Amino acid sequence: MLVLGIESSAHTFGVGIVKDGEVIANEKSMYSIGTHGMLPSRVAEFHAKVAKKVIGNALQKAGVKIKEIEGIGYTKGPGIGTCLQIGLLAAKTLAYRLNVPIAPVNHAVAHIEIAKHFGKLKDPIALYVSGGNSQILKLDKLSMRYRVLGETLDIGVGNMLDSFARSANLDPAWGSTVERVAKGGSYMAMPYTVKGMDFTFTGLLTYAKRQIGKARIEDLCYSLQETAYAMLCEATERALLLTKSKELCVCGGVAQSTRLKEMLAKLASLHRTKFGYAPNEFNADNGAMIAYVAEKALKSGHAEKLDACTITQKYRIENAEVYI
Amino acid sequence: MRLLSEGAEAKIYLVSIFGTLLLVKKRHAKPYRASQLDIMLRKMRTKKEAHAMLVAKNAGVSVPAVYATGSDEIYMELIKGKLMRDSAFDRKIIADVGIELAKLHSAGIAHGDFTPANILLTNKGVCIIDFGLAEPNAGIEEKAIDLLLMKRSLSKEFYLLFENAYAKAYANSSAVLRRLAEIEKRGRYQARTIANV
Repeated sequence: MLVLGIESSAHTFGVGIVKDGEVIANEKSMYSIGTHGMLPSRVAEFHAKVAKKVIGNALQKAGVKIKEIEGIGYTKGPGIGTCLQIGLLAAKTLAYRLNVPIAPVNHAVAHIEIAKHFGKLKDPIALYVSGGNSQILKLDKLSMRYRVLGETLDIGVGNMLDSFARSANLDPAWGSTVERVAKGGSYMAMPYTVKGMDFTFTGLLTYAKRQIGKARIEDLCYSLQETAYAMLCEATERALLLTKSKELCVCGGVAQSTRLKEMLAKLASLHRTKFGYAPNEFNADNGAMIAYVAEKALKSGHAEKLDACTITQKYRIENAEVYI
Repeated sequence: MRLLSEGAEAKIYLVSIFGTLLLVKKRHAKPYRASQLDIMLRKMRTKKEAHAMLVAKNAGVSVPAVYATGSDEIYMELIKGKLMRDSAFDRKIIADVGIELAKLHSAGIAHGDFTPANILLTNKGVCIIDFGLAEPNAGIEEKAIDLLLMKRSLSKEFYLLFENAYAKAYANSSAVLRRLAEIEKRGRYQARTIANV
């Protein structure tokens, strides 16, 4: 089946095309967050402008004509309302014009499923880390829904790193710059908060921000990153031992971090656990993961009626059924 | 030294010293995190755990006695019993667990992982184990979390028995129960509880 998926939950407008479980196109255009972060109305405006072009690019890359598309997928949530609306509109228009079935997709489920696909994993513990989300999950086979074993009790790890980067005037102001600057740093103690399999980042962020100008920026970046990632690793380790799972994957935007993957690989080998993840273009927000999950939904007969297609800003992953 | 069990944070060994059997809880190094952070965490947590156990023991809570500590290990009394999680238990035992938690909270300590998997049933009554997540200077929030974990682990009838015994034995219990009600209303926890059913 040839399925086109649209992702627009945050700064990225992404379009992916999947054919029989294999990704054949993954095009995207990203709103530049500059120094202000994301203004919802501006990002939506950006998505509306680039939508046609990105869809065109994806079709060209895949070498298929729009009329050959047999199904559409879109991100139902979670995400920024105005941004999700644009993706929904584009998806509904395509489904209506092409007269093909449509499937709403949970953004978090898509991140995990694409990591399982590329990492060749069957039933892993998933560490899902992005700007707005930081969760440890496992699929419950009875309900076919992901169950949250642990999660951030306040902000996502990506937003935490981005927020620090903005306060420290790093350019560009996001987590990958923190990782680059961290390379020359040495460790200084920072607040470390893990509660069982849950964790919190605001105390750490406040502390690090207050040290700006007092300590070397390299040391701050290094220590902030090491502390945050160690917290994620500890909670993940607990989840692995609790569930006795022998597979682990990492996904979401922060999964692009080389250091985080290095730490998780060491953690996995400590417990003789198979560790996998997707290439970076599929860890960042992308349309291919949406197409990938939508194809499974459509193939298993779970298309949604066009009029019933909506968005849900706070679409919790526990409420999304998973089709394999 | 014989390995008895392995948790995410520590390993428990059985050792014989001068013919007496003891338990050693050792926090091994974690190669995935920065070594300075690793050493600091293990040292700090070992100290905190031993401290909480000592304070609890002095306050008359039924916990294993601490004999010695190192920078990453605690030597403690071996208690023979069966985990409450794996046993049948009656109303008397449930009430005793409530009273032990009341004594612990009165001493200013929250356990941090208060579930039937960390309560031993022995010939001499209940005994609380694994203070790895304990907070010796606990606030109301941490104490309420102890109740929340128990509430998730027990049937409604047993939980109410437990809560009643706790409330009678702890002077400040009404504040803790109020906070528990607040925590249960928080969004993330609600979603988690629904998902766990």
